[in-house]
Amino acid sequence: MQIDMDEVLEILHRYPREKRHSLAIMQDLQHHFNYIPREGMEALAEYLECPLSSLYSMATFYRALSLKPKGKHIIKLCDGTACHIRGSVNLAGGIGRLLGIGAGETSADGLFSLELVNCLGSCALAPVMVVDDTYYGKVTLEKLPEILNKYREEAAG
Amino acid sequence: MNRTILVCCGTGCLANGSKGVADEFQRLIDQRGTDARVKCYVKRTGCNGFCENGPIVKVMPDDIIYYKVREKDVAEILDKTVEKGETVDRLLYRDDQGRPVKHQHENPFYAPQHKTALRNIGAIDPTRVEDYIAAGGYEALKKALAMTPAEIIEQVKRSGLRGRGGAGFPTWRKWQTAAEQEATPKYVACNGDEGDPGAFMDRSVLEGDPHTVLEGLAICALAIGAEEGFLYIRDEYGLAVRNVTTAIADAERHGILGDDVLGSGRRLKLSVVRGGGAFVCGEETALIASIEGSCGEPRPRPPFPAVKGLFGQPTVLNNVETLANIPVILKDGGDAFAAVGTEGSKGTKVFALVGKVKRTGLVEIPMGATLRHLIYDIGGGIQNDRPFKAVQTGGPSGGCIPAHMLDLPVDFDTLKSHGAMMGSGGMIVMDDRSCMVEVARYYINFLAEESCGKCTPCREGLRKMLEILTDICEGRGQEGDIQLLEQLGHTLQDSCLCALGKTAPNPVLTTIQYFRDEYEAHIREHRCPAGVCVKLTAFRIDADRCRGCTACARACPTGAITGAVKQPHVIDSSKCISCGSCREACRFDAVETEGRDAV
Amino acid sequence: MTITIDGKRCTCEKGEKLLAVARRNWIPIPTLCHHESLPGQASCRVCLVEVVQQGRSSVVASCVYPVEDGIEVYTNSDRVRAERGMVLALLRKRAPDSQLIADMCRLYDAPDLDRVKVSVPGKCILCGLCVRACTELSVGAISTVNRGVTKEIATPYHEPSAVCVGCGSCASVCPTGAIEIVETADTRTIWDKTFRLVRCARCGEPIGTEEELAHAARKGGTEPDTLCERCRRRSMTDVLAATYGDRE
Repeated sequence: MQIDMDEVLEILHRYPREKRHSLAIMQDLQHHFNYIPREGMEALAEYLECPLSSLYSMATFYRALSLKPKGKHIIKLCDGTACHIRGSVNLAGGIGRLLGIGAGETSADGLFSLELVNCLGSCALAPVMVVDDTYYGKVTLEKLPEILNKYREEAAG
Repeated sequence: MNRTILVCCGTGCLANGSKGVADEFQRLIDQRGTDARVKCYVKRTGCNGFCENGPIVKVMPDDIIYYKVREKDVAEILDKTVEKGETVDRLLYRDDQGRPVKHQHENPFYAPQHKTALRNIGAIDPTRVEDYIAAGGYEALKKALAMTPAEIIEQVKRSGLRGRGGAGFPTWRKWQTAAEQEATPKYVACNGDEGDPGAFMDRSVLEGDPHTVLEGLAICALAIGAEEGFLYIRDEYGLAVRNVTTAIADAERHGILGDDVLGSGRRLKLSVVRGGGAFVCGEETALIASIEGSCGEPRPRPPFPAVKGLFGQPTVLNNVETLANIPVILKDGGDAFAAVGTEGSKGTKVFALVGKVKRTGLVEIPMGATLRHLIYDIGGGIQNDRPFKAVQTGGPSGGCIPAHMLDLPVDFDTLKSHGAMMGSGGMIVMDDRSCMVEVARYYINFLAEESCGKCTPCREGLRKMLEILTDICEGRGQEGDIQLLEQLGHTLQDSCLCALGKTAPNPVLTTIQYFRDEYEAHIREHRCPAGVCVKLTAFRIDADRCRGCTACARACPTGAITGAVKQPHVIDSSKCISCGSCREACRFDAVETEGRDAV
Repeated sequence: MTITIDGKRCTCEKGEKLLAVARRNWIPIPTLCHHESLPGQASCRVCLVEVVQQGRSSVVASCVYPVEDGIEVYTNSDRVRAERGMVLALLRKRAPDSQLIADMCRLYDAPDLDRVKVSVPGKCILCGLCVRACTELSVGAISTVNRGVTKEIATPYHEPSAVCVGCGSCASVCPTGAIEIVETADTRTIWDKTFRLVRCARCGEPIGTEEELAHAARKGGTEPDTLCERCRRRSMTDVLAATYGDRE
């Protein structure tokens, strides 16, 4: 994928050239590109005049950041305690059977990435799944295909 | 009569479709326009805490509260309740006896609650500073501006307020230490990196009443002499980040924050820092490292942040809920606050009551209430009336408290002396179908991933504890494993660099202490008594009890269950993945578990 | 002020670290991640000691623990031996190829932990000293990568670093010799990157990599060195002799 450096630079220049803004800038890059492209990392190191290694360290430390491209839709399956004891692991298995992906993986068609995430703070609706920004509460194995098919149909046109 | 319709727009209700409900109210009201006999407006509020029953709609001043409201119900609410003040019975909550409940304060979930930190949530529109001011907001800040730092700290001291984020450190002491430092500049920071699985009170406060946190932080800044502050909020909490950002901008526009705080000439600049997704950043030195723009690795204390914190300067870090209590303390006085609670734990605490309990949600009650009160009176008991087994308090740093201790009063010191922890207030209720070994394994797995990996015992010790616990859950446990887990646990408690590691063994040590027989059943008999550990559990259907309702067959993800309607069903063990969906689906208790030979 | 360590009275000053006080008094405390030039790492947790203060006992890392008046310190109590032994045993699972760790395990009676698997092969204990050395003394070519149990030390993207100058500071501070440097007659290879070695213009001894000398010169605002330390000193003497020698 070709990265538009103007877009990268626009994001960088939203913030002053101080190391303390590195996390915020990386988050913005992540939001914009769905991952942090290497070009973005290198431009940021130059912009902040800091070693690339320190940014690489952060990008691999914080779970909100990813150095690999992600699918078009990001499925966040909550594995907080409340969801866990109400069966989130079974849902992960169910998604695996439907999409052929495990946690941290992207489906072959590039449509979905599955992330097993920490508590999303919606425990009363456990188990919870969030696709992009849409919350689905009290998800069951029965409901899964219906939810996911909506996104597939959308993509199919 | 004018009426206000309050539509809960917390994350829980939004997930249940409350935005559509609020929009529908607005659309119909606009449509009816000036013809309507009753003037009314729609207010989008923060989380009411009873998320499971959302979307929640309140009609004021009648104080009628509806649950599970759908868009199609909106017209009827307008016709009956708004126009005529009548109730729509089918949308009312039913109490334990099945009686409809009209007012919020009669609802068994809310009735025993004592709201301090959550006082405004659900009643005001969090995006309107005018609402907060109308509810008495920023009066405490005004009051504080007329006081000396020592006077402010004295009130906080009298209140007995202890940090709500975890360890329960006296809030005034942090303030006092930072106030005494000569170095400038100083900073204040709000810890909104709520990471405990099962806890969401901070999210609720930040979303539903952001100004109270800003006011608390501003008062802290006055007390210690800071002019800049940060709110570190989990990036996953999108609505909280947006509402706090809006609140800061509004407060600055109204001259409440910024270059001239309420005309006093004092300066206070607040900004939001979005968390990067690392549980360890809830630890204050890791959070500081993260705000500074590095990996969230804790550093040794002392020096404590109040002496040397953010950018090497004196810094006070307080949790969201702690700060939400500050305006109340300043307004009503520390003594009034201290009148509630127990000897060592003053005021109220917000708990996230979740798991296998009938009524789940956010609950604020005075410190010292018993677990039984919380779980049975407010929570309504265990789902499907199954037996209560344990409650996990305090998240990954906390412990599992068994049934015979249900009458323990909940406060900082009691929980700690029983190996658990108040933590941020997560209360995860478990029934006889929760495996305590698996729960311990779950927490250790969580912590092994969330450990920053800096110090040896946390990084390597958790890895080994996880290995052993996984072995036990999968039938490879050995004699001596329990002792080895205990040894490793004690090493972590003694030798880790930060609180994450030092408290990490608590879930393991408390489950060993209170549920040792379950560990032994796994190790010696290769049996999971709760029927949870997949490799140790096989499911079968009791033909006598099965009514052939087909619920299990529909719930089975692999099509392993067959049977005709009204005929006993059968599980094909070659297709069964032991997920337990059938057991959850069965209403006749016909699905049984039995041991299976482990690998 | 005065503290006692294993019964011995030791005088010390406010703010001093316990480890420093013990060592000054010839009381041995084992360490791995402690380095005089890069203090405060506090990650290996091998220097644990027990501190009793006002009747309350706790285990602390002596390398970063600031002494307080009147504390009693025990460097070899049962509790210290148990926790230190376990920490070392865990390190042996982490760095099974390190002779130093194996020797320390023997010396401090670490349990064998045969019950659990070796975590990772190799010698690295992830103490992070190399990262500190590279960041603070050199160019910041390496860092910790990932977190928790998957943490490691690496260059960005696990590729040869664009900025590494091959100075070897990382390897020289490593307590377990985990960072490999391979030298031939005129090259040095470290972190998968090969550098040309520069030899002393006089005696022919290797004096460093081209990049390392250029980096030092940039930092110091001078020309890159062409002589080794010894020859540089000797050439100074020659200059002095040439200038002042005849006045002798």
